[in-house]
Amino acid sequence: MNGSNGDYSDDQSFVDVVNTLSGGPWRTRRRGKSRQRQAPPPVAPAPASQTPASGHDERPAEPEEWSEPALGASVARPYTWTQGRTAPVIDLGVETLVSTTEHGHDMAVLTCAEHRAVAELCGDPRSVAEVAALLSLPLGVARVVLADMAAIGLVVVHRNTYSSADAPDMALMERVLSGLRRL
Amino acid sequence: MDFVDSDRAGGSWQSHGAASAAAVRPDPVRSGPPLARPVGTVPSAISAKIVVGGGFGVGKTTFVGSVSEIAPLTTEAVLTDASTNVDDLAATPDKSTTTVAMDFGRLSLDSELILYLFGTPGQHRFWFMWDDLVRGAIGAVVLVDTRRLADCFAAVDFFEDRGLPYIVGVNCFDGVLSHSLDDVREALAIDSAVPVITCDARERESTKKTLIALVEHAMRRSAAARA
Repeated sequence: MNGSNGDYSDDQSFVDVVNTLSGGPWRTRRRGKSRQRQAPPPVAPAPASQTPASGHDERPAEPEEWSEPALGASVARPYTWTQGRTAPVIDLGVETLVSTTEHGHDMAVLTCAEHRAVAELCGDPRSVAEVAALLSLPLGVARVVLADMAAIGLVVVHRNTYSSADAPDMALMERVLSGLRRL
Repeated sequence: MDFVDSDRAGGSWQSHGAASAAAVRPDPVRSGPPLARPVGTVPSAISAKIVVGGGFGVGKTTFVGSVSEIAPLTTEAVLTDASTNVDDLAATPDKSTTTVAMDFGRLSLDSELILYLFGTPGQHRFWFMWDDLVRGAIGAVVLVDTRRLADCFAAVDFFEDRGLPYIVGVNCFDGVLSHSLDDVREALAIDSAVPVITCDARERESTKKTLIALVEHAMRRSAAARA
């Protein structure tokens, strides 16, 4: 089986093609400190003829897998810009929990529909990613809305404590470990 | 590429735009309703995050779904072609956008602790989303299909580069391990301290064991770093 390209010829996905080009699945990963992060493979930029996804109506074709947008690496740039805009004051991780404050439960102060939807959703703590997914908002938009709401006291952001360099602290990991063991 | 106006990128929800720009600015003298911060009434909830990486079709979503208390959700980041004027969407109906989707699941570990499992978006060119994902994560599980081993190189490279603790889970689709774990370790050229284990992404117990192995590994690394 080693190095046999025939194994996956019946299932020619993009990665298969890349594998084939780059010497088969059992090529050994090169290792070393100077290793460059892998750039997109040369074949990665999709042909311009492919129709780009239109808005976020676009759903992954297979729910089981990730969507495969047909755009080149340059799409990263605008997103970086957007991110600069979407998290202007509060840095919200995808897993950061938010919950509605008493003030936020007061429907009278919720003048816009998005705020109302978020306030209803976050009666129990929800992550930023959940808010985005459950309200069908792009992540960046959910971040803007949540940051707005936090700034005016409609939701509270539950800050995680990190030991250093964004790594979770030992106490949290211990809690996760014992929680997993109890499952 | 003229990204002149960052504020306008992705300008849906314009109705909201003006208000939000003002609202998010921290303004101590802001005259609004008294801030309700019912510290006592808000549960001291906390979340943790584990990342699941690997190539296409290796079983990331299955892995997440096998243990999640909710059906895996998909969240999308919209990537907008900022070189067009997107301030007025009506003017640019064929504005070029694309989406990157990532799946995630949720596990309540105790009354105040929620663990989220995030799958990495598949394409290498979405590294910037991976950064967002790994920040603050406990660690990562790299799922491997031995028939397409090279698919996971990118994930291994990325986690090593970011210094994120990871383990390798060799997904045995048919219950058969077609290559020895040592072969996998050698082909991946990973450190002997990195656990390489077998798993079955469809099985809750197996996924649970894999996650436990990862957290234990992350704790060992963290302890070693402190010593």
